[in-house]
Amino acid sequence: MKRNSRVLASVLALSLSVTTLAACSSNNNGNNSAPSGTSSAGTSEAKDTITALLPPVSPTYQDNFEQMAKDFNALYPNLTLKIEPASWEDMTQKLDTQVNAGSPPDIAFIGSEGISKYVQQGMVMDITDAATPEMIGDFDAAPLEYMKNGNGIYGFPAYMEAHALGGNKAFLEQAGIDYKDVQKNGWTYDQFREAIKKGVVKDGSKTSRYGFVFATAGVASKDYLNILVKNAGMPSPFTTDLKYAYTSNNYLEVLKDVRQLIDDGSMPKELSSVDAGKRWNMFLTGQTMITGKGLATFENSANKNNAKIEANDGSAVQGSIKAEYIVLPVPSFLGKDPVTTVAVDGYVTFRGKKEPTAEHKANVVKAAYYLASGKVAATTNNDLFVAHITKTGKEAAASMIVNRNPDNVAAVQVMLSHAAPARPDIPVELGAKAIKLEDEVIIPKLQALIAGEITPQAMYDAVKKAAISTFGEDGVVKE
Amino acid sequence: MMQATKTIKKRKVKGDAGWGYTFIAVALVIFALFTAYPVASAFIISFQEYKPLGSTFIGFDNYVETLSDSLFWKSIRTTIVYTILTVPVALFLSFAVAILILPLKKWMQTTFKAVFYLPAVASGVALSVVWLWIFDPMPSGILNKLIGTVGADNQNWLGSSSTAMLSLVLMAWLSSHGTSIIIYLAALLGIDNSYYEAADLDGATFLQKLRYIVVPCLKPTTLFLLVTGVIGSFQVFQNAFLMTGGGPDNATTMVGLLIFNNAFKYFEFGKAAAQSLILALLIAGVALVQFKFLGKEVEY
Amino acid sequence: MLFKNHASNSMTKYIRNGTITLLLLIFALATLFPIYFMIISSLGDPVEAGAMNYSLFPSKISFASYKFFFDYSAYSLRWLFNSLIVAGTVTVSNVFFASMAGYAFSKIQFKGRAFLFTLLLIAMMIPYQVTQVPLYILIVNIFHIQNTYSALILPGLVSVYNIFLAKQFMGSIPKEIIESAKMEGCNQFQIYWRIILPLSKTVLAVMAILTFMENWNTFFWPFLVTNTMDMQTIQVGLKNFRFANTTYFAPMMAGATISALPMFVLFFSLQKYFLEGVTVGAVKG
Repeated sequence: MKRNSRVLASVLALSLSVTTLAACSSNNNGNNSAPSGTSSAGTSEAKDTITALLPPVSPTYQDNFEQMAKDFNALYPNLTLKIEPASWEDMTQKLDTQVNAGSPPDIAFIGSEGISKYVQQGMVMDITDAATPEMIGDFDAAPLEYMKNGNGIYGFPAYMEAHALGGNKAFLEQAGIDYKDVQKNGWTYDQFREAIKKGVVKDGSKTSRYGFVFATAGVASKDYLNILVKNAGMPSPFTTDLKYAYTSNNYLEVLKDVRQLIDDGSMPKELSSVDAGKRWNMFLTGQTMITGKGLATFENSANKNNAKIEANDGSAVQGSIKAEYIVLPVPSFLGKDPVTTVAVDGYVTFRGKKEPTAEHKANVVKAAYYLASGKVAATTNNDLFVAHITKTGKEAAASMIVNRNPDNVAAVQVMLSHAAPARPDIPVELGAKAIKLEDEVIIPKLQALIAGEITPQAMYDAVKKAAISTFGEDGVVKE
Repeated sequence: MMQATKTIKKRKVKGDAGWGYTFIAVALVIFALFTAYPVASAFIISFQEYKPLGSTFIGFDNYVETLSDSLFWKSIRTTIVYTILTVPVALFLSFAVAILILPLKKWMQTTFKAVFYLPAVASGVALSVVWLWIFDPMPSGILNKLIGTVGADNQNWLGSSSTAMLSLVLMAWLSSHGTSIIIYLAALLGIDNSYYEAADLDGATFLQKLRYIVVPCLKPTTLFLLVTGVIGSFQVFQNAFLMTGGGPDNATTMVGLLIFNNAFKYFEFGKAAAQSLILALLIAGVALVQFKFLGKEVEY
Repeated sequence: MLFKNHASNSMTKYIRNGTITLLLLIFALATLFPIYFMIISSLGDPVEAGAMNYSLFPSKISFASYKFFFDYSAYSLRWLFNSLIVAGTVTVSNVFFASMAGYAFSKIQFKGRAFLFTLLLIAMMIPYQVTQVPLYILIVNIFHIQNTYSALILPGLVSVYNIFLAKQFMGSIPKEIIESAKMEGCNQFQIYWRIILPLSKTVLAVMAILTFMENWNTFFWPFLVTNTMDMQTIQVGLKNFRFANTTYFAPMMAGATISALPMFVLFFSLQKYFLEGVTVGAVKG
C-alpha cells in the first residue's frame, strides 16, 4: 500500500508541477497589460473579475477577445473581463453542465429562447435594479423584450436577426416573379405556391431545378414549421390568454400546405434529409430557385463564390453558377398578417450558488453592456450583416462601410417591422412543457410528414392528443 | 522503481491476498474518486427533483415516470435492435479480418493493419460529414448513384423511417473496426505455436484448427469485445444525434439520446439519472448472460 | 501455424493469398474512404461547409488550409502539445496500473475479488451523460482544479476498460509459470515485473495505442474543464473552426489530418509488438 501511494503521490506531484508551470506561463501571457493604478477613480473600488463564455458570434469575433478584455480593463481599471472561447454548438452543453453543477460563468452568449430554461433552474441573474436607465434606453425596445422573463431582465440583446428566404435573382426573373414587389409587400401562400411552381425546371422526367428547398434534416425541421406557422396567426405556441395554439385548425391547414408543396413537385420529395449545407450547395449550383432559412450573411457567402467563379481557379464550389442573393419574406397563410420569425441572441447574465453581491452584480452588468453596445456591437453586427439595435452601436457603425444590396437591406427592415413580439409573460413551466412536446411529438411527426409517411391529419391528431394530455382540455385552443 | 521494489521485499511475508490488494490499490483509489463517487451521486440524484440551488427528494417518482413512458420503451427497443444488428456483425468482421491478415507477408500485414486502424484515428466529425455525403438523398449522392447503376430507385436514406435505421447500421458495419481487429490480432499472436504443431501432426484441417484451437483460445477476447461492444452500443447516441437527430418519427431515437436530452435539454437530471440506472441494470443483465456462456476461464 | 505456409504446392498458396488480399482490399476501400475524403478536403480552399465541394477528386490542391490552421490561432501548436502531455501521461499510467490490477484480478486470489471486479464492470455500464455533472462538481467545485493538467489527466489515470482488457489477456497465461517462479522465490511484484509484463507485451502495446488514441481524440471532458485557449487540447481547439452558421471546412479537415498524424507515428513505432507477438513457449524454454 505504502509503495503504491508513493507512486500515486509522485504521479500527482508530476502532474501538479506541470500544472503550475503552465499556470505561470499563462499568467505571463494574459495579465501584463493591466495598467496598474493609472486611474484614481478606479482605486477606490474593489477589484473584481467577470467571466464570460462566448462563442464565435461572427467570423472575426473571437480574434478580438484580447482587445475586448484590454479595452474593458482600460474603461474600468478595477475590473477584469475573463473571456472563455467555445464553439457555437458545444457551448450550450458546457453551459448546461456548469449550470447543473451550480457554477456558471457570469455572462454567456446564448439565444434568448434559452432564458426560460435557466430561469426554471434559478440560475440566471435578474439585472433590473442593476442596469442604469441609460443602458436600458440605449437598446431598441423589441429585442430587449426578448431578454425578459416574467418581470425580470436577464441580460442585454446583441442583435435581432430575421429568418427569411433567399432567392436567386436570375431565376426569379426567369420565372417572372416581381421580387422587388414581394420584398416590399410580401406574398400569400397561394402566390408563393404558384411562383415556386414556375421555378421548377425539368430535364426529361428528372427535376434539375426545384422551386424551393428548405433545410429540414434532423432537428432543423422545427425551424421550417415554426417560421411558417408564425404567418398563420400563431406568432407563439401560446395565445395571449396562455392557451396552447397548435391545436387550432390553422395548424392543420399549414401542415397540409407543407405536404402540398412537395406533392406539387416544387420541393424535392427527399426534403426530409436535406441539411443546411446541402441546401446551400443546391442554391449555389442552381438546383433551386429559393432556399430557406435565409440569413443575412448568405448574401456575403454568395458574393464570395461569385468572385471565385470569376477568378476561375478551381476554388469555387464544384458545379456552381453565379448567383445574386435576394432576400425574400416568408409567405402568409389563410389571410393572416405576416409575422417575421426573429432570433434574438444576447449576453445573458448568470448567478452562482451564492447570492451575488450588489457590487458584483453591477460589475457584471457593466461588462454585459460593454459587450452588447458601442464599438463591440457595431463591429460584430457589421460582420454578420445584421441590423444594429443600440443607439451607441449605430453611432459607432456610422463610419464603417458594409457592401450590401440596398434592396435586401430595405427588405429586412420591412420584415423586422412586423417581427414576432417577445412573450415574457409565458410562465417557465408552460414554456418547458411546450418545448418537450415539440421535441417528442412535433419534430418526429413532422419528419414523418415531410418524408411522406403520415398524412397532415394524422400529425395534427397526434399533436392535439399530446397537447391535451399535457395542458388539459381547457389549456388548448379549440376552433 | 528501485525504491519501490525494496519496499515490496519487506512485505513479502504477507502472502498473496496482500499483494492482490496492493496491485489494485491505485486503480481502486482512482475508480472510487472519479467513477464510483459520480455514480453514487447519480444514484442519489435519481430520487430527487434536481436543482442546483437545492434538490428535493421525491422518492421513486422518476422511476415510475420512466417506466410508464412509452418513448423510453420505444427507445430501448430501438437500441436493442441496433445492438443486435451491429455488435455481432462487427465482431465477426473483425475476427475474419484478423484471421485473414495472418497468412500474408509481413509488409502486407503491416499495411492492412494500418489501413484498418486508420479510420479509428480520424475525428468523428470528419467521418459524419462523409457519411452524410454518402447518404445524400439526391440522385447525386454516392449511395444513390451506386444503386442507380443497378436500376434501383432513388432512396431517401436518412430521411425515411424505413431506411434510417438501416443506414445507421450500414455505417456501423463499415466504420472502424480498427480497435477490435487489433485486439483480436494481439490475441491470435498470443496463441502458442505448439498447439498448431500438435494439430498438424494429427493432420487437422484449417477449419478444424479454427474450431478447436483458435475459437476456444480467443474466448476471453471475444467476451471482452462483446461486453464492451454491447455497453458501447447501448450508450451510443452520437451517430443518431449527428445523422438523424433521432428521427424520422423517433425511428432512430436511441436511449442514450433520450438520456442526454433529459439531462441537458430539459434539465430533468433526476429523471436522466433514473433512466441511466435502469439502462445499466439492463446492460448488466445482458452482460451476465454473456459471462455465463463465455466467461469460463481458459486454462491450459 | 494456423495457415500451412509449407503447403504442398505454391500455386494454391498464391491463389489463397491472392483471394484474401482481394477481399481485404475491398473492405479496406470502404473503411478508408472517409479518411481519403478527409485528406482531399483538407487540400481545398478555406471556405465554409455550405460552399464545400462534393467531389471525389480535388479540383485544386492548395495547402492554404494548413497555413490557415496554424495562423488561425496562436495556440495551434500549444493544443498539440497539451494533447501530447495529457494522452501521454494517461497512457503510461494505464499501461502500468491497469495491467497491475488486471493481473491481480486474473491471477491472485484475494477476498472480494469477484465482487470488486463486478463493481468495476457495472460502473462502466452507467452512461457518462449522468456521471459527468457529479464529476464536474468534484473537479471544479470541490478540488478547484479546473483549467489544469490535473483536471485533464486525473479522471483517466486508470480505466476499467483497460483493467478488463488486461484481465482477459493475462487470464490465459499458464498458472505453472507463476507457480514455478514462486518456487524460485520470486514475490508477486517480481513475477509481475519480470514475467507477466514481458509476456504481455502485445496486449500492453495494444492498450497503449488504444488509450493514447482515446485520450487524444476525447473532446468533451477537456472542453468542459478548460477555460482558456492555452489549456485546450487539439480536439477542443479544432472545434473552434465551427462558426455561427458555417464551418471552415477545409481547415477543420486539415486540423483533423494534423491531429491524426501523431497516432500514425505511434502506431508504426509500436508496430513490431503487434507483429511478433510473444510465445509462452519461448519464455518457458
